[in-house]
Amino acid sequence: MTTRFCLICTFLCGICSIASAQTTGDSLFAAGHYLAARVTYERVLFMSTEPVEQFSAAMGKARCLKQQGLNAQAVTFLNSQIQAIYPDSLTYQLRREQILCAYLAGQFENTLSLLDRLPYLHPDIPAPPLLMAVRVLSLNELNRWTEADTAYRALATYTHADTVQTPYKQLPRLKSEKKAQWLSTFIPGAGQFYAGKPGEAGLSILVQSAGLYFGITSFLRGYYLSAWGVGAGLFGSFHAGGVRRAEVLVRQLNQQRAAAFNSQLRQQVLKLIE
Amino acid sequence: MTYVRSWLLLVLGLIAGAAHCQPATFGSEWQFARYLADKEATDEALFVLQAFDKNTLTVPQRDSLAYLRGWLTYSAKSLDEAGEQLLAVSPASPFYLKAHYFGAYCLAFQNQRDSARAVMNRLPAPDSTLRELRAFEQAGLALLQRQYGRYDTLRQQFTYSSYALSAEETRLDAHRRALLAQKRRSPALAGLMSAVVPGSGKWYAGKARQGIASFLPVLMLGLLTWEGYRKDGPTSLRFLGFGSLFTVFYVGNVWGSTLAVKVRRDEFNRVYDNKILFDMHIPLRNLLNR
Repeated sequence: MTTRFCLICTFLCGICSIASAQTTGDSLFAAGHYLAARVTYERVLFMSTEPVEQFSAAMGKARCLKQQGLNAQAVTFLNSQIQAIYPDSLTYQLRREQILCAYLAGQFENTLSLLDRLPYLHPDIPAPPLLMAVRVLSLNELNRWTEADTAYRALATYTHADTVQTPYKQLPRLKSEKKAQWLSTFIPGAGQFYAGKPGEAGLSILVQSAGLYFGITSFLRGYYLSAWGVGAGLFGSFHAGGVRRAEVLVRQLNQQRAAAFNSQLRQQVLKLIE
Repeated sequence: MTYVRSWLLLVLGLIAGAAHCQPATFGSEWQFARYLADKEATDEALFVLQAFDKNTLTVPQRDSLAYLRGWLTYSAKSLDEAGEQLLAVSPASPFYLKAHYFGAYCLAFQNQRDSARAVMNRLPAPDSTLRELRAFEQAGLALLQRQYGRYDTLRQQFTYSSYALSAEETRLDAHRRALLAQKRRSPALAGLMSAVVPGSGKWYAGKARQGIASFLPVLMLGLLTWEGYRKDGPTSLRFLGFGSLFTVFYVGNVWGSTLAVKVRRDEFNRVYDNKILFDMHIPLRNLLNR
């Protein structure tokens, strides 16, 4: 009788301690004390041998890391938590959380790799719309729009949305950096104009013309050194700089267009999974 | 009676449970901190260690605490705190040896060379390998302080046969030779050279590309000034404008050449300091971080 009571007491102590730690962790998280909450969740992981408690603590710590913007750290932490002790359903949830953290950390290639592994590791669980959306968004961020279109259609089919009028019908028109360079090489300012910066194009034309004008007039008046040193020097420097600048401007324009398209598409994808 | 006894036991059990939920003893918290450190959860481990009330701890417990805090901050590359914590470990602690060797290294890394030397002189060396390691660390520090005589005395303890030290000992000797072979260049001579041939002072200082880069604009401005003078006379705007620009570039180049000698010397010293510190670190990790 006494032994049984002692065992009950020990069991209750353990339960009380771990459960209280979990609750404390949740309260600290709610109060915004993320580091303290992380320590408390780690305490649960240290003390508990129960998969369900360990799972809750792991998810709690991942939540804290996400709140602190430490998404890459959350990916590494969750990787260490995906062990054989968890039942399949819990492992799946940890993997799903890891995919979300990888996306938030900007590890788009890693996100896609983790997503590709999921059907092999959990063949009996169909991909939920959230993960389908994460695939679309990751492909978008990598500008792999053809694959993103296919993934978008799969998501639209799943959510019974329109699969004919997809946003990929109107992809952003990206300009060629090479073309901008060539244009600026032969027509000063044309590369900048092509990149959508008429002001910079005008300035480039003005400065290069001034250099050229100074060079020619100096040469005609017999100031050969000034013609070469100032006129040709100015023209040459601004011409070479203009070619490089045109390339940079086109790259920036392409990035802006891709970002705008991705941002608009992100809203549409989120609407789909709502 | 049995009923009462059972309730009594249950109440006692619950009290014990409540006590278990209170801040735990040093042993369990220490175990928890070690577990976090092993998981490389550095922030969490430091959080746990900082929560200890040092006044309630025994000396061995304080030593363990200082060692682990020092080691974690060392891993997190906060070497100032790491040095402070590691050197606080007392000689009775089993961590003393490792803590003080790494603590001395932290001081050397932070340019606190005299303090590092004082600590290294007191480092324990119970066997021949550690005696050689201590001599090696002291020799490395002597090189950092550019005390070649002291280095030569200490390197007599190098055996060049220990697996953990031989490669680094050879490299330290190579660093010593390279440091001694460093050419002593004069800032005044560099300035003078640039005054005669613009850019040549920078070439002399070891910055050939900068020399060429400063020679060309000075030459061009000089030619333009000469052209202005020859064609328009000494009162012309062209001569005065290009002449002023030439003067600014010429004087700047002379001044830059004198500075280039110091910049080049600092770069050279920084590169060799980093090499020496890197080589001092490898045997420490190989021999003590096991």
